[in-house]
Amino acid sequence: MLNTLIEAFALISTWEVIIAMLAASVYGLVIGSLPGLSATMATALLVPVTFYLSPIAAIATIVAASTMAIFSGDIPGALLRIPGTPASAAYADEAYAMTRKGEAELALGAGVWFSAVGGIAGTLSLMILAPPLAEIALSFSTFEYFWLAFLGLMCATLVARSSPVKAIAGMFIGLLVACVGIENPGGVPRFTFGMTDLFGGIEPIPALVGVFAVAQVMRAMLTPEPPPIPKRKFGSIMAGQWRLTKKYRWQMTRGNIIGIIIGVLPGAGADMAAWVSYAMSKRFSKEPEKFGTGHVEGLVEAGASNNASIASGWVPSLLFGIPGDTIAAIAIGVLYMKGLNPGPTLFTEKASSMYAIYLMFIIANIIMIPLGIVMIRLASYVLRAPRSSVMPFIMLCCAVGSFAIGNNMFGVVTVAAFGIIGYVMEANGYPVAAMVLGIVMGTMIEQSFVTSLIKSDGSVLPFFERPISAILAALAIGALIWPVLVWGWRRLKAISPAAAPR
Amino acid sequence: MRLPDQVTGLFLVGLGAAAAYGGWLLPPVPGQPVGPNIFPLVIGSGLALCGLAIALGIGRTFEEEEEIVPIETGQARPPTGKLYGLRALLPPALLLFYVAAADRLGFIITAALIVYVTSSALGARWKLSLPLAVMAPIVIHLIFSKLLRVPLPAGLLPMPW
Repeated sequence: MLNTLIEAFALISTWEVIIAMLAASVYGLVIGSLPGLSATMATALLVPVTFYLSPIAAIATIVAASTMAIFSGDIPGALLRIPGTPASAAYADEAYAMTRKGEAELALGAGVWFSAVGGIAGTLSLMILAPPLAEIALSFSTFEYFWLAFLGLMCATLVARSSPVKAIAGMFIGLLVACVGIENPGGVPRFTFGMTDLFGGIEPIPALVGVFAVAQVMRAMLTPEPPPIPKRKFGSIMAGQWRLTKKYRWQMTRGNIIGIIIGVLPGAGADMAAWVSYAMSKRFSKEPEKFGTGHVEGLVEAGASNNASIASGWVPSLLFGIPGDTIAAIAIGVLYMKGLNPGPTLFTEKASSMYAIYLMFIIANIIMIPLGIVMIRLASYVLRAPRSSVMPFIMLCCAVGSFAIGNNMFGVVTVAAFGIIGYVMEANGYPVAAMVLGIVMGTMIEQSFVTSLIKSDGSVLPFFERPISAILAALAIGALIWPVLVWGWRRLKAISPAAAPR
Repeated sequence: MRLPDQVTGLFLVGLGAAAAYGGWLLPPVPGQPVGPNIFPLVIGSGLALCGLAIALGIGRTFEEEEEIVPIETGQARPPTGKLYGLRALLPPALLLFYVAAADRLGFIITAALIVYVTSSALGARWKLSLPLAVMAPIVIHLIFSKLLRVPLPAGLLPMPW
């Protein structure tokens, strides 16, 4: 244990890792603070760069950039009432109300301080939860893996803030995308339409860049520019945070726990955690009437929650290759690329790398405090950059980055195509996160499904015979028919009162 | 570009049916009951069912209206014409232009054109977009070609480094 810890320290105390982490932190802070550029997009655009780094440095950049971006989304939320990332949307109104009351320092300070606390709580959960779960997971057969992956996809559709039917459809589209190529049980070209470029399948990373970055530039073409930020001088940012911590320690802890739980659930990420925690804070508050008028309580709880979900989202990713959220989905891609294939054996065979990940999360959350304060002070300059000068850079990064992944132009075509797909899906209420999970998990779910079927000689019964597999199956099928049941129930209720008076 | 649910739903029915049929045609692994055919068959059927449900309006009650932060007063509403919506297609079109032109024109020239068009389309005057079109490709070229050693096409205008 101690030896592994020392090894982990040695792994991360190289210049490459330190520089990569610092650079990624600054990058994450800037991208996260720009309205319209989300944390997921920041991470996706980073992937081509990680190709050229050592495994630990590559993961360091992902960890640092995503942690920072989730916090710095609070900055334009508080100053402009425009959340920098979707994860800050839940409390942007509240934070802006505080700014108008002259409490911008307190709102932003709470953002940075409780984000850091939340991030560390999430990391602790990752350290505590993952190893024992890995023990259990070692005894899983393909049946359990199939149901687990299926359940993961179902969770993603249940928590989507959209119609569950559309979310399931989105998931199926993603799985269909994963079908393309010759990497299937028979090794035959499938859905390649004779194009050799498609033989290798559709890479998840260009698809992600298209869905999250190109689609965003497309939306920017049709929406008006956000207003420029007024110049202002800030007082002390950290003043009063310790007082808040003591006053709202229960709210903070509750936010951490909710964030951790939502992070672990596949598909539900920081934005969901913030919405749930903010609503919860209002529900259980002693002074709910103050919410919406610039009250810091909700900010504390939701800020502690969304950053906690970032680290805990890595739990299912590292254990099963099932992403806890879209950022973790990207991280999984990087893990595979770097030979750290997700699975329970990762915790025994590559224990020092796992400790290195924990350490990087903790370090990222600690350096977030000073870097975040600097960022807040510089925000009035960074946020003055007009969209018309930022978006061209995003476009170039999309083109070059997707080319760099396979050194071929087909990656760029994929990015463009998925930009359109993502844009159309989003505009019509189909959650793209569900499709992304489908793409990332497709190969794994097919493999476990077909291997299980071959083992059972084509019969479906063995899928339900092992105890854990039966429990997982019941949960998954329940999640699948839940929307149908609720719909039927509502129909019945709608019909009976209308029929009764007659 | 908001389409009626019937349109997207029926499109998904077609896509799902096509996928299921395509899967059906694939050969199974010799000596096994299943192979590469089964997964597309299941996925395709599922997608077609979902599409049908969407076309019939099932689950629409769950949809939450997106919470749009209202625009501060005093800002001009975007013009809404028939062709205005097509502007959204500009970014993917520019990426395809990159695919078609980068090898012949080289990275710097292609990238400069992309930057100029994107920034102008987002409302920048030439005083901003022209210097940007000169600087941005060079910066990106430095990072990706020099630092990360991505082989970017030199084309007509090779960089001196």
